[in-house]
Amino acid sequence: MAQAIRRALTGSPRGTAPAALLAVSLVTLIFAPLLPGLYWALMPSMQTPVWQALWRDPQWPQALQATLVSAVLGPALACAAAAAFATVSYPGAAWQAMQRRLPLLLAMPHAAFAVGIFFLIAPSGWLARAIGQFLAWTDPPDWATVQDPHALALALALAIKESWFLLWTLSAVLGEQAVARQMVMARSLGYSRVQTWQRVLWPQVLPRMGWPLAAVFAYGLSVVDMAMILGPSTPPTLAVLAWQWLTDPDERLQAQGGAASLVLLGLFLLGALLARGGWHVWQTRRAYPDGVRASATPRHWRWELPLLAVGYAVLAVLLLWSVAQTWFFPALWPTGVSLTHWLQADWVPFWTTLWLAAAASLMCLPVVLVWLEWGPQRWNAVLYLPLIVPAMPLVAAQYAALLRAQIDATPMALVWSHLLWVLPYMVLTLVGAYRAFDGRLLTTARALGCSRLRACWQVKWRILLRPILAAWAVGFAVSVAQYLPTLFAGGGRFATVTTEAVALSAGGNRSVLAVQALLQIALPLAAFGLAALWPRWASRQRLGLR
Amino acid sequence: MLRIDHLSLRRGDQALLHDLSLSVAAGEVVAVTGVSGSGKSTLLNWMIGDLPSAFDASGELWLDQQRCDGLPVEARGIGILFQDDLLFAHLSVGQNLAFALPAAVRGAQRRMAVEQTLADMGLAGFHDRDPATLSGGQRARVSLMRTLLARPRALLLDEPFSKLDAVLRVQFRAFVFEQIEQLQLPTLLVTHDATDVPPGARVLNISDWQVGDA
Amino acid sequence: MTFLNFNTTRILLTAALALPLAAHADWAQTEKDARGQTVYFNAWGGSEATNAYIAWAAKEVQSRYGVTLKHVKVTDTANVVKRVQTELAAGRTQGGSIDLMWVNGENFRNLKNGGLLLGPWAESLPSWGLVDLNKPVRSDFSVPTDGMEAPWGTAQLTFIANQAVTPTPPRSAAELLTFAKANPGRVTYPKPPDFHGTTFVKQLLLELTPTPAALQQPVTPAAFASATPALWSYLDALHPHLWRQGKSFAPNAAAMHRMLADGELKLSLTFNPNEAANLIKSHQLPALAYSFGFSHGTIGNVHFLAIPVNANAQAGAQVVANFLLSAPAQAHKADIDVWGDGTVLDVRKLSAEVQALLRKQAPGALTEAVPTLPEPHASWVEALEAEWLKRYGAR
Repeated sequence: MAQAIRRALTGSPRGTAPAALLAVSLVTLIFAPLLPGLYWALMPSMQTPVWQALWRDPQWPQALQATLVSAVLGPALACAAAAAFATVSYPGAAWQAMQRRLPLLLAMPHAAFAVGIFFLIAPSGWLARAIGQFLAWTDPPDWATVQDPHALALALALAIKESWFLLWTLSAVLGEQAVARQMVMARSLGYSRVQTWQRVLWPQVLPRMGWPLAAVFAYGLSVVDMAMILGPSTPPTLAVLAWQWLTDPDERLQAQGGAASLVLLGLFLLGALLARGGWHVWQTRRAYPDGVRASATPRHWRWELPLLAVGYAVLAVLLLWSVAQTWFFPALWPTGVSLTHWLQADWVPFWTTLWLAAAASLMCLPVVLVWLEWGPQRWNAVLYLPLIVPAMPLVAAQYAALLRAQIDATPMALVWSHLLWVLPYMVLTLVGAYRAFDGRLLTTARALGCSRLRACWQVKWRILLRPILAAWAVGFAVSVAQYLPTLFAGGGRFATVTTEAVALSAGGNRSVLAVQALLQIALPLAAFGLAALWPRWASRQRLGLR
Repeated sequence: MLRIDHLSLRRGDQALLHDLSLSVAAGEVVAVTGVSGSGKSTLLNWMIGDLPSAFDASGELWLDQQRCDGLPVEARGIGILFQDDLLFAHLSVGQNLAFALPAAVRGAQRRMAVEQTLADMGLAGFHDRDPATLSGGQRARVSLMRTLLARPRALLLDEPFSKLDAVLRVQFRAFVFEQIEQLQLPTLLVTHDATDVPPGARVLNISDWQVGDA
Repeated sequence: MTFLNFNTTRILLTAALALPLAAHADWAQTEKDARGQTVYFNAWGGSEATNAYIAWAAKEVQSRYGVTLKHVKVTDTANVVKRVQTELAAGRTQGGSIDLMWVNGENFRNLKNGGLLLGPWAESLPSWGLVDLNKPVRSDFSVPTDGMEAPWGTAQLTFIANQAVTPTPPRSAAELLTFAKANPGRVTYPKPPDFHGTTFVKQLLLELTPTPAALQQPVTPAAFASATPALWSYLDALHPHLWRQGKSFAPNAAAMHRMLADGELKLSLTFNPNEAANLIKSHQLPALAYSFGFSHGTIGNVHFLAIPVNANAQAGAQVVANFLLSAPAQAHKADIDVWGDGTVLDVRKLSAEVQALLRKQAPGALTEAVPTLPEPHASWVEALEAEWLKRYGAR
């Protein structure tokens, strides 16, 4: 029996079986409680009266509509923006410039970005003030630019933020294949850049973008923090509604919340199926190449500027608000500047976020390394599930499991709840570099007499220091940005910069909100900075490591 | 005829090539040799129109009395063949070839032309095959035919034989030069292997245009 | 017989004398038990002045009694009630996560009716002696407190406007409707069940209902049906002229202050008559903002502190409540430069300097004397909120 398990796990020499078992059990610790949790959280919703009540709820139709608009329009626009930019500028100077700036923009957590967008496009926001300078406004316009009933502001914010993410994954995919050469080849056959993308590159690249696109769609369906800041309130999106119902002690409403979570999951599966089906139809119906060449239209516009500009504008407006003393509409710039808000800032959420993210990412790192080294790689798809499944049912499952074990609202429970999302992102970031590592280096080390663990510790992981630190920084950033797990598992006891920012966004003091949003951005930036600088310092005399 | 006038290539401060002038007649093969990293591939990149932004170039490229160096890749009418066959993985063999056919050939004739080409190559019946199932030699031949089907007015070869084994190399080389002769294409061949050069072809060493201790 | 009488009298006398001593000994024991405890105080965190005051109180309580006070910021007290209910339903009868809560009205009623509160304890606090019993400190929205909650401060619904833009504000429901029509899209109120929004709706109801007396009694369907039609027809007339045409409402009062500062709204509201002064000082309202009330009065109430029955730090919670009720804490709270929340203590029993402190004025605070209207019975709140959500909760 033990032999069978060993073989099933590794199919390789005896020495690695205990390590593989360790890898599997560590990951199981993170994932396994979800299964009974899902049962406890969603079983009460499996009754017809619950679904009838959901159907009859007056908030249901408009919540569903708002969710569909934001979750379909947002990612679709993000795709379109990323595709348009790649088509026009890959692999030129503009593309390179964008790639250099992307990590900075990606480090910005969603909630802070939403706050910045709010400060920019609200009726009393900076853009309205800029327009007001020309039109001599004294009062803000009566436009519903944020928290509009159709969730368009939310869709816009999602579109911009996710376009950065899609550009980043796109560049990873484009870098894998000999794509630049294919592009030259097709263009030398007479096809324009746009045609090359349409007929040659997209058909090969899009299937490889399946997971990132699914993740973006799932996020759009289930986002709560951005929806609370920018989305409608009467009624809110379905995800926010589900969250409100799930945290209600009235059991009927809890069951209704579970049903709403299942609806989100169903919407995701439906969307994924439609996309898959549409892709299949498009591929099989592909016409025989007709050879028609379009005329080449050279465009030298710097398309990356608008996409980048929004990110910089968000940072700038947050900085301005954090030091503004008095800044009423229609003033374009603050009329008084002071550091009081920084000096009097509440640093408790900052420290909480710091230890939480550090604990989560540092605990995950050995798990990731053990998994990638000894774990059964066939099961990687299971690890990636939390990325593409809408977060709401998973968070509810975690909460149900913690309640039963009576350890909710403890620091340990909070860290554990974050691991479910930190782990997949870290694996995703590291797996490419890990697989590309030349295995012969390890074999050489072992041939010199080291055990596998020692060879890894002294050779492999040191050479892979840069990707490992990058994965750690990503895990850190993911933990900083978590909203729902902190609220559920933490029982409302732990205030992180993310929960603070969302709570403050409903209130009045924009300067305090700006300070918390900037603190929220500073943490992942510091982590990425550390991950970039440490390998540089460590390899100052070893250029081969760079 | 393919003509380069006074080409100078720089990368930042470093000069790669200085005042290169070259002309290739129709049907002629000119070989450019040199050590790795000497700029041969960069020369080809400039000629095809895909010079990376890190480089600066000055000079003129003329093809059949038409100035080309300001045109985008797709407008130059120059074909290129790389070391890798670069067949599009999502299209079948026949579709790869049909991709290159000019639009003037329409409708059912397109498929017929492609089938004919495949038969001429000795690959009859391969129209709907997946390119990944072909052998290395077969893929190389399909790749060349694809480039030639687009009716280029000149041909650039970037070490196209180096990934083939000895036997295939000889066969494919002969095939390539036979096609060039037949179509009377001015061809520039970049290689570091002297045996790749066809008999009677001009051989130039790139160091002739390099500055200083390149 | 005489012997018995004498002894009985002596015993009774000793007992009577010993009672305050016993109480004092009890309180000393409570203080001793409290030392080293951590009290989780779940209180509304939507006002910076309040949060700053609670932070000050935490420092005081730490240094005086060795109790660690942690402020858990809450957006809706109803959620805290729900949490206590969930915990008790799950069988957690001890070591609950909430030790002290800031509560009144229908939330208190739900807690009391559910048997979720510790009590009675409020009237055995040493600071109880200073409380002004003329204020409604023993009944919360007409529901008797039974000593299960200790009064903390007073509140009155107050409106805020900007002198530069609105020199003559509306002072009744009818004037408000005219004002909204004259300033379309510049008036709104927080969406119920936010307690500011609910109170605004109650204020309108008090003015518009034909039977105000019925509101002091527990609600019945018949009473609801006869008392509220005037309110709903008023709101139906008002909403089309509101901000976002009444299809969307402000999330809370703090957001309304912000919109007033930017000119997006012309009116805001608060429960603290001194809030405008605080906001002007912290540069969140323009200097010309001022507070006003309705000519026939606005709703006023007392807010309380309560302890759940499964609280973990019961002694600590009582010590904190006692401190918050004490004269120095109440004075600091009433200081217009700190929070400006009204005191529940009898002013005559306080020292002269504290009395002077209570009379301090600041620009922007409510200066006129606005009559206080009593809150309707707590049961009306949920009925009103449910009906409002049904009519206006979705577009």
